[in-house]
Amino acid sequence: MHQHDDLDAMKRGDDVLERVVEELRRPLRVNTALFDARVMDEVLRTPSGLRERIASLMQPRTFRVSPLIALAAGLLFAVAVVGSVLYVLPSSPRAARTATRTTPGTAPGSPIVQFGFAAPHASSVALVGDFNNWDPKATPLRAASTGGVWSVEVPIQPGRHLYAFVVNGTVWRPDPAAPKATGEDFGEPNSALIVADQGMR
Amino acid sequence: MTNRSLVLFTVALLCAPVALRAQDARLDARLDARTRDAVVALIDSARAEGIPSEPLVQKALEGASKHADGPRILTAVRLLAGELGDARAALGPSSTDAEVIAGASALHAGIAPAALSRMRASRTHGSLTVALAVLSDLIARGVPGDTATTVISALTGAGAPDAELLRFQQGVERDIAQGATPAAALGVRAKSAFPSAAPLRTP
Repeated sequence: MHQHDDLDAMKRGDDVLERVVEELRRPLRVNTALFDARVMDEVLRTPSGLRERIASLMQPRTFRVSPLIALAAGLLFAVAVVGSVLYVLPSSPRAARTATRTTPGTAPGSPIVQFGFAAPHASSVALVGDFNNWDPKATPLRAASTGGVWSVEVPIQPGRHLYAFVVNGTVWRPDPAAPKATGEDFGEPNSALIVADQGMR
Repeated sequence: MTNRSLVLFTVALLCAPVALRAQDARLDARLDARTRDAVVALIDSARAEGIPSEPLVQKALEGASKHADGPRILTAVRLLAGELGDARAALGPSSTDAEVIAGASALHAGIAPAALSRMRASRTHGSLTVALAVLSDLIARGVPGDTATTVISALTGAGAPDAELLRFQQGVERDIAQGATPAAALGVRAKSAFPSAAPLRTP
């Protein structure tokens, strides 16, 4: 009798197990919109390190700083700003400064004047004039590969200018292709050059 | 004094020594102390009279580069300062520095101050710089000063632009290079510029 009861109990247990398995095998039907919303809600509720840090930065805070430290910080900031501006600004005028290293008669936007001088046996030729402080080292001419012709291009402000060439560092020569200036104040003749706004003569 | 004026005044005060130092540095490096001091004094007084100072600095530097002695440099700077002052007076207070410098070169070439004033009167609008420079160069080529002044004044009075003045000068120079006398070259070019004008009297 007891044996028969045990067999019945085992049979009921198998039926329950079978129903559970059948239930698990049934496809799950999900409302995807509601599901996504629930998931995102859960995600937003979950604490995140980065989000927390950003949120904490957005929170207003009160600092206590002594006036001296505040002044020093302000000065440091001002120096940094001015320094940055001074560093950035010359980036475009730098080229202009290169063009105007012969300061007085030259400026950015000035007409470019080409000077030429024939000196086949010279070792150096330099241009001197009232546009480069009459400095024989300021504007050397470059020799062409052949023919002994030396030349240089210089930006010069419009107006009348006096100039000459210095050959081999010592010999002063006027430009044979230009009119000589009147009056020799120092014994060495100069040439005259007229630079018009649109170009040169 | 407003805040703005105060700021401008302060900036001017700060900038002035820098400008002076820059100019002095050029002279310091090239002139002996005695000559430099005398030149700086000349330049300062010229500047006080509204005369452009840069040509004076350049004249001193030119002398130094040409190894001229101090007295000679001083003489040249003083002469130029006088010519610049005369040119400023002849051309009027509204004249630009470039005009004054070109006017001084014309005076140096032998043109009378009154001729500069006449040229100024003939061209009330526009710069006289190129006209005065052309005048100086024609004289340097040997063209008689009176004749050159007459022709250039006529061209500027007729409204000739700078480019035309330069073309005129080039034509004269070309004729001279081909063998014409300077006076004849100017006469021919002037006749071509003013066909109906009376022939120029040339010495």
